[in-house]
Amino acid sequence: MADEHALELIDLRREFAEKVAVDDMSLRVPYGSFYGVVGPNGAGKTTALSMAVGLLRPTSGRALVQGIDVWADPIGAKQRLGVLPDGLALPERLTGGELLTYWGRFRRLPKDVVAARTEELLRILELDEAETLGTLVGEYSTGMRKKIGLATALLHAPKVLVLDEPYEAVDPVSARVLTRILRRFTEGGGAVVISSHVMAMVEQLCDRVAIVARGQVVADGTLDEVRRGASLEDRFVELVGAPEVDEEELAWIAS
Amino acid sequence: MDRELISLKFTMLRNTTPGLRKVGWVFGALAVLATWAVAVLASGDQVRASALTLVLALWGLGAAIGPVLTSGAGVLRADYFALLPLPRAALGRGLLVSVLVSIASGFVLLALLAVVVHALVVAPATVVVVLVGAPLTWLLVVTLSRLVYGLLGAAMRTKLGVEIAGVQFGLMFAAWFAGWMIVQVAVQSIPRLLQDGLPEGPITTVVDALPTSWTVLAVDAAAGGDWSRAGLLLLALAAVDAVLVLATVPLLVPRGAAVEKRRRRRRSPGLVAGGGILPATQTGAVAMKEVRQWRRDAWRALESSTAVWTGAAIGVFAYLGGYTAPAAPFAGLIVAFMLGLSGCNLYGQDGSAVWQNVVGQDETSVRSDVHGRQWAMLIVFLPRAIVVTVPFLLLTQAWWTVPVLLAAIPAVFGAAAGAAILVSALGVSPGVDPRRRRGPNDANGNIALHVWIVLLLVPVTVLPTAGMIVWSQVSGEPALVVGAVVAGLLNGIAVAWALARVAIGYLATRMPDVFSRIRYGQVFRRSDDDAGLLSWIESTTLKGEQDLAKQKQKQREARLARAGR
Repeated sequence: MADEHALELIDLRREFAEKVAVDDMSLRVPYGSFYGVVGPNGAGKTTALSMAVGLLRPTSGRALVQGIDVWADPIGAKQRLGVLPDGLALPERLTGGELLTYWGRFRRLPKDVVAARTEELLRILELDEAETLGTLVGEYSTGMRKKIGLATALLHAPKVLVLDEPYEAVDPVSARVLTRILRRFTEGGGAVVISSHVMAMVEQLCDRVAIVARGQVVADGTLDEVRRGASLEDRFVELVGAPEVDEEELAWIAS
Repeated sequence: MDRELISLKFTMLRNTTPGLRKVGWVFGALAVLATWAVAVLASGDQVRASALTLVLALWGLGAAIGPVLTSGAGVLRADYFALLPLPRAALGRGLLVSVLVSIASGFVLLALLAVVVHALVVAPATVVVVLVGAPLTWLLVVTLSRLVYGLLGAAMRTKLGVEIAGVQFGLMFAAWFAGWMIVQVAVQSIPRLLQDGLPEGPITTVVDALPTSWTVLAVDAAAGGDWSRAGLLLLALAAVDAVLVLATVPLLVPRGAAVEKRRRRRRSPGLVAGGGILPATQTGAVAMKEVRQWRRDAWRALESSTAVWTGAAIGVFAYLGGYTAPAAPFAGLIVAFMLGLSGCNLYGQDGSAVWQNVVGQDETSVRSDVHGRQWAMLIVFLPRAIVVTVPFLLLTQAWWTVPVLLAAIPAVFGAAAGAAILVSALGVSPGVDPRRRRGPNDANGNIALHVWIVLLLVPVTVLPTAGMIVWSQVSGEPALVVGAVVAGLLNGIAVAWALARVAIGYLATRMPDVFSRIRYGQVFRRSDDDAGLLSWIESTTLKGEQDLAKQKQKQREARLARAGR
């Protein structure tokens, strides 16, 4: 059991005052899988993933990385994790290269390994030109921030990647590069968990999906198990529910 | 459109915390009263005229540098309007008018009208001159204020702007710490000013040449029967106004996006993962990151520059204060002391970037982070302390201070670096996240308790060194003098290390809680955790933050209630 799953969430729960953000959520991410977590805004995706990577203490429940409890043995678990959180600050006043150098040395990688990987990551993610211009991370565009965040997640060659909205604001060319990187990662036996709103992309990328709504997993399994013959988007709307738009509303737009 | 802009501005002001602005109103009102008092209490016509010209010049200076100190809430930025179909000239004029309509500018006008007193005394008919001259001077002063603010690029976008703001904050802190020296000088000179006016000489020539003085000069001319000279002076004032307005309006309208250019020199890719002179260890990595943050983050650059100018200003006060002059070289100690205040919220200033410390945690990461931050503080502040000390040492030739400084500087530096990191860890105050910062005052939340703890902790922990210094100075024995220097060094190292150890012990299990405080504004922990001094500081500072948040929430609700009515 200990090593059966790359990442496992067991009855994770987080309450903020009277609001239950994550309601006893359980998920199993097998090795080599590309796992998509989808759900509407405020469904609890980010909160659940934050608890899974050690950023937010759960009210109850456990999160295991390769069988290691994130909250009982944080150091062991974190060495195996690569994380891209959504919408958090970085050391804004460093260039991308400086950030990766800092991060690599903070992660105790040897100096030449850090230098080589930093150079390679900046080149492949097409951040090298910004680097020669000395652009600081605080001045990066949203897409560039995602890319440098990904680079920090990959730098120490983890076994499990947890990426919150990794494709958001990333241009199509960079998205392809990113997909190639992540595919190679899963082919090597690593597991990738991404959260997203974009159903078509999840359908195209992921082999496993969980639909999250109101803090709970309402459907999960392989893509086909969840879709049941329909498109993922139809299934999602069916499970989550969508507000009606009246014909009369916003009629002036078409005038 | 002018009316809409003014109403927009007041709406924005209503939506910000009024706390500091109310303090500003009190000071503004006091300054207005002081100006009128000068006009009323001066001993004769000549004296009143020269005293008034000096005070009005101070108003001009204050208006020119004042706005940099405020974070500029309610300043309508040109880029808000970049997408609207508005003629540029009309927008520029509207934005300038919106600056004129404000409480602060009202104070300026009230102060400038104090010249009426002078006019009434010398010749009542000349009140007409004031009624024309005061509004013209008012336009001049307020426009100048906006011009300087615009030129500084909201003060914080350039190195020069940071430095100027640093001088202002430095003077402010120096006034707090060593204000008695200024008060002493002021107490001596104000009665003399009211009795004798400005001494004849270059000062009066310069002050008379300033446009702020021209209304007073025009009153004097008219009182002497020379109405044409009075008219000419007022015309000249109007001309200066016109020039200033013409120079300011283009600064207020939206400009094309400035070309981003950070470095003149391209960086070679080989330097990207640069060697650097700091050791390639975990601690070295943190120190490397921190030194760059201290230099490049506008808020931290301001803090380090404030430390220098506070030290320098206190040194100057002491140097000019007569019997205090030999103490001027101790200005460097002030820089060291300011380090403790500047660094008392390091984790909070990193904002949500602290997530990296959480997900990157390993056996030694917390220790390296704490020590790296301490080293960076030393690397940044020690040269500054030396730069401030040496000139005063050379000026005063007070060589006896050298051994004292050699003992005291390491001790205070160690104590400040230790106190700062401990308080940073216990009392994380997020302020505005680094990604969202606009003004220089966004970086900290409520850090009142932090400052007090540092103010207390530093003097207490350097007591051993202080004792050794007193003993060695009293006895004068060379061996004891050397002993004091050694004691200072050991004292500094010991305190920095010991307080860091407490911080490390605290952070080792609580890094996620530090992140929680920043990200969620609360700590999620079970109630069976230890109680003690550290927990008390933690919970008290957290409560301070939450109270601040609650207060803001209340104001928001009050606003909503008002709007709903």
